[in-house]
This record gives sequence, C-alpha cells and structure tokens, in this order.
Amino acid sequence: MLENIRVSPAPHISHHFSTRSVMIDVIIGLIPAVAFAGFYFRYYALLLIASCVLSAVATEWICNLIRKKPNSLGDFSAVVTGLILALSLPPAIPVWAAVIGSSFSIAIGKMVFGGLGSNIFNPAMVGRTFLTACFGMLMTTWTVPANIDSRMPAISAAMPDTVTQATPLAWSKQALKTRNIEDKTKLVPASRANSLMADMFWGRVGGCLGETSAFALLIGGVYLIIRRTIQPHIPSAVLGSAFLIGTIGYFINSDAFINPLAHLMSGGMLICALFIATDPVTAPLTTKGMYIFGIGVGGITMLIRLLGEYPEGVMYAVLLMNAVTPLIDRFCKLVPAGGVPNA
Amino acid sequence: MIAAAKTRRTFPGGVHPPGRKGPSENSAIQLVPVPKQLAILLNQHIGAVCRSLVAKKDVVKASQKIGEADAFVSAPVHSPLNGTVKEISLQPHPVLGRAMGIIIEVEADNVAAKQPVAAKFGTEFDENKFSDEQILQAVREAGIVGMGGAGFPTRVKLEPNKANPIKTIILNGCECEPFITCDYRVMLEWTEQVIAGIKLVRKVLKPERCVIGIEDNKPKAIEAMKRVVGESDGIEVVSLKTKYPQGGERQLIKSIIDRDVPTPGIPPMISVLVLNVATAAAIAEAVVFNEPLTHRVVTVTGPGVERPGNFYAPIGMAVGELIDACGGLKSDAVKVILGGPMMGISIADLSCPITKTSGAITVLNAKEIGGAKHEMRETACIRCGRCIETCPMNLNPTKIAHAVKHGLLDVAEDYHQSACIECGCCSYVCPANIELTGYIRTGKMTVARKKQDST
Repeated sequence: MLENIRVSPAPHISHHFSTRSVMIDVIIGLIPAVAFAGFYFRYYALLLIASCVLSAVATEWICNLIRKKPNSLGDFSAVVTGLILALSLPPAIPVWAAVIGSSFSIAIGKMVFGGLGSNIFNPAMVGRTFLTACFGMLMTTWTVPANIDSRMPAISAAMPDTVTQATPLAWSKQALKTRNIEDKTKLVPASRANSLMADMFWGRVGGCLGETSAFALLIGGVYLIIRRTIQPHIPSAVLGSAFLIGTIGYFINSDAFINPLAHLMSGGMLICALFIATDPVTAPLTTKGMYIFGIGVGGITMLIRLLGEYPEGVMYAVLLMNAVTPLIDRFCKLVPAGGVPNA
Repeated sequence: MIAAAKTRRTFPGGVHPPGRKGPSENSAIQLVPVPKQLAILLNQHIGAVCRSLVAKKDVVKASQKIGEADAFVSAPVHSPLNGTVKEISLQPHPVLGRAMGIIIEVEADNVAAKQPVAAKFGTEFDENKFSDEQILQAVREAGIVGMGGAGFPTRVKLEPNKANPIKTIILNGCECEPFITCDYRVMLEWTEQVIAGIKLVRKVLKPERCVIGIEDNKPKAIEAMKRVVGESDGIEVVSLKTKYPQGGERQLIKSIIDRDVPTPGIPPMISVLVLNVATAAAIAEAVVFNEPLTHRVVTVTGPGVERPGNFYAPIGMAVGELIDACGGLKSDAVKVILGGPMMGISIADLSCPITKTSGAITVLNAKEIGGAKHEMRETACIRCGRCIETCPMNLNPTKIAHAVKHGLLDVAEDYHQSACIECGCCSYVCPANIELTGYIRTGKMTVARKKQDST
C-alpha cells in the first residue's frame, strides 16, 4: 500500500479550474453571437465559422507535429481563436480566404512564439490584420443580414454614389467626411447612423458575422463575468474610455459625430471589449495594468474611428496595446500587502 | 453603519476550498493506545537546536526534560511518558528530512496514557495567583512553541518590550485549513483552559485589547467561547468570514484590526501578538500544573483513513501508529500529509514522528487531490491572473515562480518573493496547475542558502 504514497509540494488539493474549462467558458460565451450570426447570415455564416475553427485546429495539430511537441488541442484554445476570427470576418468572404486567415492566426500568431501562453499578439487579430492587408476588398465588402434584404435598397438609394457599404460605422465615417461639404445634397448627417441604434442592438445591420448584434455579445459577456472567467476591468475600461471620447465628439458637433452609444454598439467594439481584449495571454496581469490596457484599446479605437481614415479601428487598437503589454506589466508592479521593504 | 456591521470581517484575496471538516468535527478528543516507542526530535522549533540531556540506556520519567539549549530563542523538549532511552540518532523529520532525535522505549503495558488536564479548569480562574516571572519561567521550561505550525518559542514572544509594548493580543481560533479540527475540538472541550491561558498571557503583557478570532463556520466554538468569557473579562470573541487563509497571522491581524504587518516584519512591530488556541491551552497547563508540552491534540482525517478522529497524542509518536489508531490506511490512499492539504507537508516515511507543531495528519485519495494535480500535469501559464487575484499578500506569484524556474533570483527578489507566506492559494486556483507555491518556496530557500554561504 505504501508504494502508492507520493510526495509533492503543498498545496495538495486544487480548484477544478483548468485551461480547458476557461476556454470552454469562452466558447459558451460566444454561442449567442454564433447563433445570431447563423440567424442573420444563414448557412454561409455557419460554414465560415466551421471552416475557421477546423482550419485553426488542423494548423495547431500540424505545428505541434513539426515542433515535435505533445498535442495541445485538448486546451481548446485553437477553437476559441478560430471562433473569434470567424466572428470578426465579413459575411461574404470566400471560404478559402477565411481558411488562410485562420491558419495564419494559429501558425504565425501563436505557434511561432511557442504556443499558448507565449504569444505576444492576439492570434485572431493577427489573422484578421493579415487578411485585411492581403485581401482588402474582400474584407470590406458587406452584405446585410438575409432577413432584412428588403430594407437594403432604401439605404443604398439614399446615397447611391458614395456608399457601397452599409455598416453603421461606414455611415458614421461618411457623416464625418461630408460635414464640411459644399454640396448639401451629398451631406450625410450623423443622425442616419444614430437612427440604426435599435437595429444595432438586435443585429439587423451590416457588419462582421458576430459583431452585428450587441445583444448577443452582451449575453455572452455577462455570462463570462458571472462565471468569473474574465474580470470586468478590461471591458469597463474599453467601453468607458470609448464612451467618454465619443461623448466629447458628440458634444462638439452632433451632426458630424455619432451618438457615443452607437459607437459602443457598432462594429467590433463589444466583441473586442468582452472577448478579444480580455484574452488573458496578451493582456496585462495586474488590475491597474488592465485598466491602462483597456483605456488604451478604447482610446485608440475611437481615435481611429473619429479622426482616422478607416471606419473601424478595433483590430489595430488591440494589436498596438498587445505590443505594450509587457511594458505595462513592468510599470504596474504590485505592492506587497505590508508595503515595499526598506521603502 | 448597519451595512458596515453586517459585512463580515475579512482580508483581501484568499480562496474558498471545500471545508471538509465533517469526518472529524464531531469526534471528541480521545486517548490513543500507548505507543511502544517515541522519537523526540531535538529540533521541533525555530531557534537553537537542543542538545540531549540524557544518554543511551538512561531511564526517563514522564515530563522529564531531556533536551535543552542555552540560547534565548529555543525551547526544551521533554519525555512524554516513562521509559528508557534506546538511542540518540538521526530520525526522519517532517521538514528537515533527517534530524537528531531521542528514541524512548516505553513499556506500553505498564504505562498509563496521560489524561488531558482540561477538566480541572473551572469558569472562575484567577490569573493573579501567579507572578509574571512565574508565568514566563513556566512557559520557557515547558518548552512551549507556537502550535499552529510555525513553532516559534512562545517565551520569546511573551518577553515584555518597553519601547513597543503589545497593545492587542489575538487568539487564533480560525483553523482555516480544510479537514483539520484539532483547534475546533480544543475550543469546544477545553474552553476554560484556553481562556485561562489567554488571561495568563494578558497578565504578563497588559494589552489594551484581547480578541479571540474564530471563523463563522464554527458557530459552536464561538458560542462556547462566549459562554465562558465573562462580561467583566474584557475579552472579545469575534466571528470572521470563512475564507482561507483567515488563520494566517497577517491575514488575521488585517481582518481584526485592519492593519498590515510590514513586509519584512513580525506582528510585534505593530504591537500585536497572535497566539494559537492550542498554545494558550498549553500555557495554562504549564503555569497551573507545571506540566511541560508533551502531548497535543492531533486530527487524523481525510478520505484515506478508516475512522477519522481527534486524538490526545504524545509528541514523538509515529505518524503510522496514529493512522493505525484510526483503523489504518485505506487502499486508495495516495498521500499522507503532516498538516492540512493547503500547507501541510507530504511524507513518504510513516515512521516520521509528530512534533509540537503537528496539528493534523490528512490522508488523501486521488479523487480528493483532483486529476491534474494528482498526475502532476503542468501546462503553460495563460496569464489569467487568478494567482494575483487570490494572493492575500498582493504579490505576483506567476512572475516570481517563472523567474525562479529560469534561475532569475534577482527578478524574484525584485517582485518581493520573500513576502510570500506560502499559503498555497495561487497553486490552488492555477488553471494550468503550475506549482507556484513550490517554485516560490524554492526561490526563497535558494536565496536564504546563498546568504548563508556568503556569510
């Protein structure tokens, strides 16, 4: 009987958490967004999601074979990366492009750094940036949800020359670009994007697969916070800083800048705040660091949206803040409960 | 104000492991069969190691002093029972691996087990019958050390300090570790003796406040204490939130008087003294009956033993014999821990004797340990920050542990590894199952050894 006795350092019991359970929680949190994507964009959305997930998993498996490392698929992190990438793709993108992006996410975004835990940048955002750089047209061609096709002509009829996209953020950008235009007939007031707020909440607007419905993302986010899979610091900092900057713009010129609430509900803001910026591997460790990181993501996103050329800036904001995460961690050192010795 | 009164007193951080007090909490303190052999270690405390006062084949009496050191920071050891010295040699030691110990052969059939003295204490206790010198002398001679686990000689803690007098005495009845119930039974059954002990300490140190802190998952113990503490005694009984490590010295002070002990410091620096309830009981026994610390209450529990219970056992008894007294190991037992599952030391040699600081023997099976922990499967850190969230000392365990892992001791020091209290919260919550506490302890030990080498 004694040969069964083992020794190890304390503690000798552990919580039932595991990396896998954390990842499965994130997957569960994304289910509403996947369901809404399937509802609005029909089977093609599910095809895209499935191909992204499968190619992410396959890429990780191949990379492990090449690196002669044990199989790491059991932690489900590849599934999460594939899922988040798929949800941030435009609905009409060809499957081959999605597969390329997903494989790039895993291979270059994660595995070259040494696998889960060692990557500097959010893998899904690395993949999305790669796709934007390579296939710019595909990444900015938006179709509107299948069940509101009838509304589409009305929107495009308003500005048939200039507007080829129908996302709320595109309207927002148009409002900004045309604010000083002389030909008043071409002016796009910010109220056009603002009028879509209810649709943004439910998802009846053009946009990326999983980003259109604020409602679905919020359900998932609340689930993660209740399960304590993510801490509320980063989401609150991202949304809070974005709201603040949006409010300042709105007060300066409410014709040119859209309602800050519309900013929060449009584009990738919510999926970023709840699922992408909260990726623990690429975010700071300490509470203070998380706030700085979140404020940076929200602030850069809004600067790009309000002042930049692109209608959306979430992707670049996340990658930029990922790059400074080690620095943030270094500057936000914790003070022991009893104070710093000899200080 | 009402809201403030309702919030339960506690400290930041910490974890909520399952309590698991069930198997042994209702088992009254019982005597163990007299063992045939005892191994009295000469190094059961912090401070100078005792030298043996006896030689091979000497006949020793119960309570006879058999080991002593001249240093102030030390505590003598005594023979728990009548017997003969068999040998003085290296013995298995739970912390040090091997240490010198005195083996005493006991004629088990002719020697009666020692009875606890608790029944002789009444609710009326007059500490003024004893002078300060008498109390201090008795505590020193009885070899009393902190029985909660640290093993710091109590006499040293009781030394009055004129420059920085003790203002608060806290009696630690938290027992926050899962499974362990020895302090709980002491509080329930030896209530009067414990209160007598704290009154004696109070007489010496004359503090402004005297507080007994008990976790709120032990309502019976709180009730018992409140019943014995008289209105005029001026001793407060405080209920604390049930959270691990509530019984950690620094956490207990934070919960009760909301102050932090300085990082490289000890509670007396902020005028606080913390004593374990079992230590208080031992003080009372030593002062009133002149009995040295030779026996203590040990909980033998866990899913790996047949009949868990609380035992009044002689110090020096082998762990294996205590387990046998509970019906022996079950076939699925995989880990024998001296102490509780969070901070206890796992041992492989069941002939290892219990010491003054051994409050429990916990035997776990693979199910209780949990799959990944049992298989020692460690995956990459995903930087989730749970270790930071739960660290009661507000440290960065993952940073320190990875620095130690890669031999960067200066980085580990820079992140204040020496402030770690080794409570195990970080390892407990880690989803990647990294032995953070183990790494940090390794780092601390390596640094300590380097300092020793350089001097």
